[in-house]
Amino acid sequence: MKKTFTINISGTVFHIEEDAYEGLQKYLVNLKNHFGNNEEGQEIISDIEARIAEIFSEKSNDEKKIVTIDMVNKIIEIMGTPEDFAEEEGDEESSTVESKRKRRLYRDPDHRVLGGVCGGLSAYFNMDPVILRIIFAVVILATSGAGLLAYLILWIAVPKAKNTAQRLEMRGQEATVKNIEKSIKEEVAEVKESYKKFKESDTYSKGKKSMAGAGDVVYNGTKVLLRVIVIIIGVVLILSGFFGLLGIISSVAIGQSFVDGWPLIWSPKIYVPGIFNHFVEPGTVTFGMIAIGLLTGLPLLALLFIGTKMVFSYKTNNAAIGLSIVGIWLIALVALIVVSAGQVGNFKSQSSITDNQTISCDSCQTLYLKLAEDKYENYAEIDFDINDFKMMVVDGDEVMLGEPKLDIEKSGSDNFTITIKKASRGRTRENAKESANDIIYNYQLNDSTLLFDPYFILDEEGKWRDQDVNVTIKIPEGKAIFLDEDMVKIIHDIENVSNTWDAEMVGKTWVMEPEGLTEKKTVEEEEL
Amino acid sequence: MKIENAKAQMRKGVLEYCILLVLDGKPLYASNIIQALKEAKLIVVEGTLYPLLTRLKNAGLLAYRWEESTQGPPRKYYELTDSGRKFLGELENSWGELVDAVGKVKTNKSE
Repeated sequence: MKKTFTINISGTVFHIEEDAYEGLQKYLVNLKNHFGNNEEGQEIISDIEARIAEIFSEKSNDEKKIVTIDMVNKIIEIMGTPEDFAEEEGDEESSTVESKRKRRLYRDPDHRVLGGVCGGLSAYFNMDPVILRIIFAVVILATSGAGLLAYLILWIAVPKAKNTAQRLEMRGQEATVKNIEKSIKEEVAEVKESYKKFKESDTYSKGKKSMAGAGDVVYNGTKVLLRVIVIIIGVVLILSGFFGLLGIISSVAIGQSFVDGWPLIWSPKIYVPGIFNHFVEPGTVTFGMIAIGLLTGLPLLALLFIGTKMVFSYKTNNAAIGLSIVGIWLIALVALIVVSAGQVGNFKSQSSITDNQTISCDSCQTLYLKLAEDKYENYAEIDFDINDFKMMVVDGDEVMLGEPKLDIEKSGSDNFTITIKKASRGRTRENAKESANDIIYNYQLNDSTLLFDPYFILDEEGKWRDQDVNVTIKIPEGKAIFLDEDMVKIIHDIENVSNTWDAEMVGKTWVMEPEGLTEKKTVEEEEL
Repeated sequence: MKIENAKAQMRKGVLEYCILLVLDGKPLYASNIIQALKEAKLIVVEGTLYPLLTRLKNAGLLAYRWEESTQGPPRKYYELTDSGRKFLGELENSWGELVDAVGKVKTNKSE
């Protein structure tokens, strides 16, 4: 049993068996390659096809007109192959036998493991598919999956070599420099021809004829230049798309951008998972992350796709893929807007908790204010800063740190007092109060020394709700404080009689006089 | 230098002349021309003829018209144009000269 196709050769319909069809098509492709794709070549081919149709009609004299492989072989024998022509023509033009078919990128269904992408690429680059597969596997592993996306893109975008003609195209002319040059030259010749036609047409003959020569050269040169530029742009697009995706995937997977140091190509500096957890409720985190991933990833995929298309110039499979990608992108955009709008409500109300403490140190004339050791100094700081907030990774956990603000005022009583006000925002007052309550901030009192933590901390589950910690120290009249150098990090706009800047206030002793905080001159200075 | 090659070169030289010769007087379609040339053993495979016909046509030496066929597709009938006839006349002259020349070389040698 054999499958038959119905074909139309030069206006006559034949039924042809499958193997015969393959053979005939291969033969005709060979002839086309031999005679070239110009007008003359096409005429020769159509003459030959007419003759083939005639011979088939003669041979299949019964009514069914079935063409077998034997008949095709007979035809090839009668008509001759390009090699035969070369022989008859005395080998003079044997160079034209060389296939003129431009190489195109196809997926190779005959040598495939998954989609035949590596098979097709290896045919395109004329190398062993095994080597390419190993390279691909290594790239996928090394890029934690971005390479896989590239593979998928090629799988979707590159058409499969379905018939013999496409298979021949797949293995077509080697893409050596010489051949590329040749194909460009051919293209130029083609352009010249069409230009000549245009010149002969009525519209042109009215124009200036003297310009023809110069215009020709400029036109051809521009065309070749454009081609080269297109290829270069394609390569740049591929690289930026690829490394951009690499950046997104690695930032989602590892939490840190892999391509930070990449000098040439833009890479998104987003640390998606970490940041999100501290802003949004867990449910919306996943949702928002998917939306952000799609929003940034899809355009990069498109870049990659357009780039490969520019470089390899294959035929696109279908437009539906592109349209659906645009659709998904728009949906992701809308989703993200909705999620963000929902978050605004989380900042509607404000509340605070105030904690007063009297420092019982009757004998203290001067209170020494110092900063406690920075516990987080040696941890990797994630480059993220919003309203003086920092995010750190401590033993694998992310911690949000905020800077407290310290102010100094005059006390109404005879005691030093310290007030810590924790404030936060939230959806309701209760939410805000809860958030404020979750703020962790400590200080220590040793004799006459107050040690302040340099940061307040939001616990693991804590969300950023514009939290704030204000420390106020009240000093009774006549008593003094000493600000350690480190305190510059947390003091905030302390009022004093000499209007001294915060940064200038540290390392000195300040006395609370009736008119306000006054710098205490050292003994030596007083003597001077 | 291969003998096949030398033969092919010789054949190629006279092939165009012979095509014009076959077409002289009556229009023919490709199969007829092929028949004639095959009988004369000038060509082996038919595929060689079509590029030649196209080239001669493009050079203005041949013209063709379509004619319906009782069996199979319509046929292209080729005929000589005026310049083709002129061209053929010149070729006939030079062919005569060639034959003379070869004959002369041969007789001189045998003497």
